Amino acid sequence: MTSSILTRSPLSEAPTRRRAPATRWYPYLLIAPAALLVLVFLVYPVGSVFYYSLQHYNITQPWADGFAGLDNFIAMGQDPLFWRSLVFTGQWVLVEVALQFVLGLGLALLINQTFVGRAVVRSLVFSPWAVSGILTTTIWILIYNPSTGVGRYLAEVGLVPFGTSLLSGAGTTFWAVILAELWKGAPFFAILILADLQSVRTELYEAAEVDGAGRIRKFASITWPHIRSAVVIATLLRAVWEFNNVDLLYTLTGGGPAGSTTTLPLYVAQTAIHDRDFGYGSALTVVAFIILTVFSVVYLRVNRFGRDDA
Amino acid sequence: MKRRSNLPEPRSRMAGRRARSAIAAFALGAVTLGAAGCAAPSPADDENIVLELWDTDTRPARAENLEKLIDMFEAENPNITIEYLGLPTDSYMQKISTAIATNSTPDLLTPKASDIAALVAQEALASLDERFEEGGWGDEIDPSMVESSKAASPDGSLYLTPATSLADVIYYRPDLFEAAGLDAPESWDDFFADAVELTDPATGQFGYTIRGGAGFFSQFVQMVYPQAGIDTFFLEDGTSTLDDPAVVEATQRYVDLYRKATAESDLTADFKVMVAQFGSGSTGMLSHSVGSYPDHVKALGADAVAAVVPFPSEDGEYVLTGRMTTGFAMFEASEHQDAAWKFLEFTMSEEGNSFWAEASGYIPGNLAVQSEPWVAENPAIAVAAEAGSSPDATVLQQPFHLPEFNSITSTDMLPQWQAVLQGDLSVEDFLGDAAEALTDAQQRYLASQ
Repeated sequence: MTSSILTRSPLSEAPTRRRAPATRWYPYLLIAPAALLVLVFLVYPVGSVFYYSLQHYNITQPWADGFAGLDNFIAMGQDPLFWRSLVFTGQWVLVEVALQFVLGLGLALLINQTFVGRAVVRSLVFSPWAVSGILTTTIWILIYNPSTGVGRYLAEVGLVPFGTSLLSGAGTTFWAVILAELWKGAPFFAILILADLQSVRTELYEAAEVDGAGRIRKFASITWPHIRSAVVIATLLRAVWEFNNVDLLYTLTGGGPAGSTTTLPLYVAQTAIHDRDFGYGSALTVVAFIILTVFSVVYLRVNRFGRDDA
Repeated sequence: MKRRSNLPEPRSRMAGRRARSAIAAFALGAVTLGAAGCAAPSPADDENIVLELWDTDTRPARAENLEKLIDMFEAENPNITIEYLGLPTDSYMQKISTAIATNSTPDLLTPKASDIAALVAQEALASLDERFEEGGWGDEIDPSMVESSKAASPDGSLYLTPATSLADVIYYRPDLFEAAGLDAPESWDDFFADAVELTDPATGQFGYTIRGGAGFFSQFVQMVYPQAGIDTFFLEDGTSTLDDPAVVEATQRYVDLYRKATAESDLTADFKVMVAQFGSGSTGMLSHSVGSYPDHVKALGADAVAAVVPFPSEDGEYVLTGRMTTGFAMFEASEHQDAAWKFLEFTMSEEGNSFWAEASGYIPGNLAVQSEPWVAENPAIAVAAEAGSSPDATVLQQPFHLPEFNSITSTDMLPQWQAVLQGDLSVEDFLGDAAEALTDAQQRYLASQ
């Protein structure tokens, strides 16, 4: 009986209608513009990078162009600049994202409180994020300028010799560029975390207080679980962006001194754009692409992002 | 260093590459522009012609001078209009390479001598030999500049008009020397002693500014090769002289100036920073070309700037550096090569050459202009010209003909140079690695000839 009902449902009895040949193409036509854009602006560029990574393609030496097989990747293994840039990229991403997260979280918790002038403080906190990259570096170049910036003031009070630049000292360059990027990047975390914090129901905190929970317990049991997804996605985005950082480092230090602030993407820029060796530059880009893809997948899986129990 | 080396191969591969580039260029053009361009027919002589000129330097004073030069030319050639576009010094080759790949090059360009090899390798520039000879310019232009211009190209042809030239000098501040009771330096020993003597870290006064950042190689060559008394980059078999014991010794002496007579921040100093430091009055001496003299005069006044040419070596060898042609070129793809050549001729003519060289602080290529009073009145050019006319002097030509020259001397050598200044790498290791790379490049070049 049951099966009869199921098989004789109105839906199954409806006459089968064949689409007219013209209308059968409608869905494909509708997605065609988007598919074309993806093909032209995503598939083709990425595919061409993979293609050129297997070629000798240096536009200053066209006579040597041709299929390279894995030559570019083998050369990479023996290239000290590649390994050094890779190690620095790891340090840069780890330290930068960690500091941005801690500072961004602190700022978000602070400006989530109720106090007089909160709107102004929030605007000030977010303002570095709104500043363009080139303006950010200009500001920090002036700050670090040995003649007019902080170096001169430190020299005048006798803390450092005249002519000292934080961007050229062996022990100061890394932290000088970290600070500049931290100034710009921390507000990003603050914005995302604050947006999530504002959706936490206050009743939860009130109930926790009734149960005798302190600040740390409330943060661990209510706040952190609530903002965890936002933190995961924000750290992933920042890690990818910091990995790909070229503008600030290029304009602030040019990757120096002695290659000490050259990230892998900056090395790609030097190789492909300055040296015009697009074959080797493409191979470097392919490696960067693979590293980022693997990192993103592993990071999201480890953090169980998108799962209900996450 | 890192990348593979290949000998030149048949042009069939190049043809394939160019075909693919053409397809890519078409696709890019179709997507970004939405319409394919139409080739214009060659205009008649009296037809209005618009030429496009890309300048590889955007300093405001230079742009102003170049626009004046264009105005002068247009006044004499009313049917030709030149549209000027300034490209940033640190990224102009990126735009030019894109233009070549997409067949959208301008008509005229102001390439540096070090760019010629790369542009010729892409078959982008038009050879000027025939027009130069037919125009009788061989009698009008300084032969050493013609030779220097041809030496910058891998095939020995003329692509860059020998309109003007640079030359290396050492600028110094007479007022600071006088205050310190010092005479103008006349030898390398004087120079090194004066640099230390003029330095007073407590007041932020330094005797010299060393170029530790981008473009360091020019100053390095200027301060090392004349000291060593070596007048060639390569021996006949293509072996680089960069690790010659005399060069190593001279380099060590030069490196020892860092922090002893320079600011620590010089580790990353580029051309702009060096010139700004000298202009601010905190530096006693600066190595640079004659081309920056107008900037120094503007910043300090003519009385506060003097110049000497890098000195002969201890054994009396007189090596001159930085004699680099700074002219104009035209693209092979230009549809108005006759009109473009007219402009190139104007820059070599007495009228155009005189204005452009004086305004830019360059040594004029036109022999008649070299006798004009202003040349002797510019102290930087005067000492450079005097040195150039010395029978004992030899001009050191940098190997701009090597396509790898830029990548070796910047991407590969710059980080190592900064490591040397920081004391993390020995001068011997630094020069040994660089000499090996340059030797490889030169020997490949010789094998392909």
